[in-house]
Amino acid sequence: MGLVKFITRRLALSLLVLFGVATIVFVLTRIIPSDPASLYLGPRARPAEIADIQRRFGFDRPVIEQYAQYMRALARGDLGTSLATKRPVVQELGSRLAATLELLVAAMLLAVVVGIPLGVLSTRLRGGVGEALVRVTSVVGVSMPAFWLGLLLQLVFVHLLGWFPAAGRVDGGLRFVAPITSFTGLNLLDTLLTGNLVAFRDAFMHLVLPAFTLAAYPIGLVTRMTRAAMLEVLSQDYIRTARAYGVAERRVLSRFALRNAIGPTLTVIGLTMAFMLTGTFYVEVIYAWPGLGSFTVRSFLNVDYPAILGMTLFGAAGYVVINLIVDAGQAFFDPRVRVA
Amino acid sequence: MTRLPSFVRFVSLALALLAGVVAAQSTTALRVASTASVTTWDPSLSFSTEAVYLANIYEPLLWANPAGAEEPFRPALATSWEAAADGLSWTFHLREGVKFHDGATLNADAVVRSIERHMAIGGAAFIWAPVAAVVAVDDMTVRIDLEYPAPVDLIAASLYGAWIVSPAALDAAAADEAYFEAGIGAGTGPYRLVEYTPDAEVVLGAFDDYWGGWDEPGHFQNVVVRIVSDQVLQEQMLLAGEVDMALSLPPTSYAAFAADPNYDVHTVVTPFNYVGFLNTTRPPLDDIRVRQAISYAVPYDDIIAVGAEGLGTQSRGPVPQGIYPWSEEVPRYTQDLAKARQLLAEAGHEGGGFTLRLTYAAENIIERAFAPVMADALADIGIKVEIEPLLFNQQWALAKADPKEAQDIFLLLYWPTYSDAGSDNLWSMFHSSETPFFNLSYWKNPLFDDLVDEAIELTGTDRATAQALYVDAMTILVDEAPALFFMDAGGWYAVPTYLEGFAYNINYPFATFFYPIRLAD
Repeated sequence: MGLVKFITRRLALSLLVLFGVATIVFVLTRIIPSDPASLYLGPRARPAEIADIQRRFGFDRPVIEQYAQYMRALARGDLGTSLATKRPVVQELGSRLAATLELLVAAMLLAVVVGIPLGVLSTRLRGGVGEALVRVTSVVGVSMPAFWLGLLLQLVFVHLLGWFPAAGRVDGGLRFVAPITSFTGLNLLDTLLTGNLVAFRDAFMHLVLPAFTLAAYPIGLVTRMTRAAMLEVLSQDYIRTARAYGVAERRVLSRFALRNAIGPTLTVIGLTMAFMLTGTFYVEVIYAWPGLGSFTVRSFLNVDYPAILGMTLFGAAGYVVINLIVDAGQAFFDPRVRVA
Repeated sequence: MTRLPSFVRFVSLALALLAGVVAAQSTTALRVASTASVTTWDPSLSFSTEAVYLANIYEPLLWANPAGAEEPFRPALATSWEAAADGLSWTFHLREGVKFHDGATLNADAVVRSIERHMAIGGAAFIWAPVAAVVAVDDMTVRIDLEYPAPVDLIAASLYGAWIVSPAALDAAAADEAYFEAGIGAGTGPYRLVEYTPDAEVVLGAFDDYWGGWDEPGHFQNVVVRIVSDQVLQEQMLLAGEVDMALSLPPTSYAAFAADPNYDVHTVVTPFNYVGFLNTTRPPLDDIRVRQAISYAVPYDDIIAVGAEGLGTQSRGPVPQGIYPWSEEVPRYTQDLAKARQLLAEAGHEGGGFTLRLTYAAENIIERAFAPVMADALADIGIKVEIEPLLFNQQWALAKADPKEAQDIFLLLYWPTYSDAGSDNLWSMFHSSETPFFNLSYWKNPLFDDLVDEAIELTGTDRATAQALYVDAMTILVDEAPALFFMDAGGWYAVPTYLEGFAYNINYPFATFFYPIRLAD
């Protein structure tokens, strides 16, 4: 199968997946007993006002009619209006995306910068205490729930040591001292672009704990993947040959072994990024990080139908796209994948 | 020696050289953490926690003073007011030289239009139900004509549905009903709405032309409110110096802050109370003796100790202490398990032997704490309680559906819309209605209804008689026990010693007034 045909087929299947996700989530939100009109108006709204809102949003229509209305709007790119914030869901997505992206990218960078060297290190320290420590670290990273780790880090580094701030992306008073000029919405990048080092430091300090909390799982995963791949590569003949020729061990690991071992790890990193989107739910709530994750959690707690559907679709679309990119990449490099 | 990449060295040097960001104590910004999210920015539709912000952006005609003050009210946008002898009209004389945030000048037309809008579409429109007309007598005088006597001073001082709004904003809102939702403030208050990030942050900036002036030193030029839903996180932010005030701290931290010399702890009486509606449409709760038995079984002191860390008092009916028409003449139950068992036996349920379904709002940590205490107590008289935490939205939907299928016990945190808990708490929660509003006991008692209706009409002209009628109504209510009246919740605030001017006003739940708060000398 040609690459174009492969990608086209995958796109069509992806659309089907998104349709299925939208339908399932729609049904689930309608099954859960809730009063969306009270959410929109507040719990003290009078019956007449509630009835008016129900009419306006169609909550009093048959569910199948609401479903059809929703799907028609979705086809137009309209994700509806959040009942809690009263703003278009698309606007909510847009205003929060940068915060979550910054967190995700920082966490992934940490995963790569920490995880890969740790994985390589563990192969150098084989059989020793060092290797055991690295393995324990990677297992803990993979196993520890993000919300627990986040609370633990807050307790130690905020409450006991006072090294980092507890919450938010920047200090509340920063806008009056060193306001950030926003180009991308990524505070670290924007502050560097404008040379605003005061704000850069503040944004950096606020990012450390949330990013590390989110990165714990991928760090553990990347460490283990790298280690396993390296061990396999290190047993190859060409490695033995390189050592026999007297190549420095450091060069053997970095130039010959890691290059050949990194492929599967990079694939996993890409897939993990999509998975980490759900990790942001915990992390953003714990650190009051104003991103997609915290908004999604609040939407679920409020049973804010349009926001729940919008965020779920966005997450599903993100996952589908990343998978598609990874698979397309694999298909590009390995034609056997296109037939499978 | 290994050389670090140059970028890493640069960043390390930069971080090492940079000083801290914001001085913790300057009048540039008062940094606050609050759980208060914004349901709407519309000053007419507002009926929820956004009152924290609106009370700093807008002003009413007058403010209600806390109980015990020399005067019950103090002037705001009206400098004086009087009621006609027959109680059927009230006249308000407006303050001269007041500016709205958009530069317009306060006049009678602005007041008339604001109140008319609140009456038409307000979330709390019902408070204006007695009003027949609002008239601009002249440019600075407004008369409110009533269909029946009512306490317009209380109504006009309400936290909801009484803000005076710029006419230009009213015009814009008439053309676009979502006008305010983008984050528009159009009041006369000391602070303007500068920036709003939903569920994240509200930024208020000082209104330079505020009629109250900024001559006193120490006022904050800006207020940055972080919306943080977790109380423990708020506490961490306060202790770390990331915020100057945290408006919602864990009850369990009270003792620690009280012992900390860096904080002044203000313990306050709030208008919040906890009620447990009993579903009177279904056996066995349709039997008054069973309801009274449950009332005698409740361990009120334990509930206050466990749920509110001791900060609260047992309720006398549904009217909170400090709010009209609370009275210590209203009876209340004390725990008496023997009496409870006796009543159950008289009702044909000797030893209990039935199960009740109790729902509470999962978000409410106080209800979460005391629900098991209550369940244990009822177990002592043979009643099994199945506790079911639900999101408030879901609990509400369940209760508003078919009463026959609803919960048996509905725990609710309530507070009055304005400082008349007779026309609010008593009417909303227990007056008969075909479609219950907050009457989630689904209880109907014509004598109670008549007493409350008569008291409402007399409150404007003969408050003493009205009070007596309310006491009679509440006595019936407590005796028939369609609900359990647990506690009037206390509250507390930990204010750093470098701040002064904080004051809680029981008439304005949720509202924290930032203007009086200043850096201490």
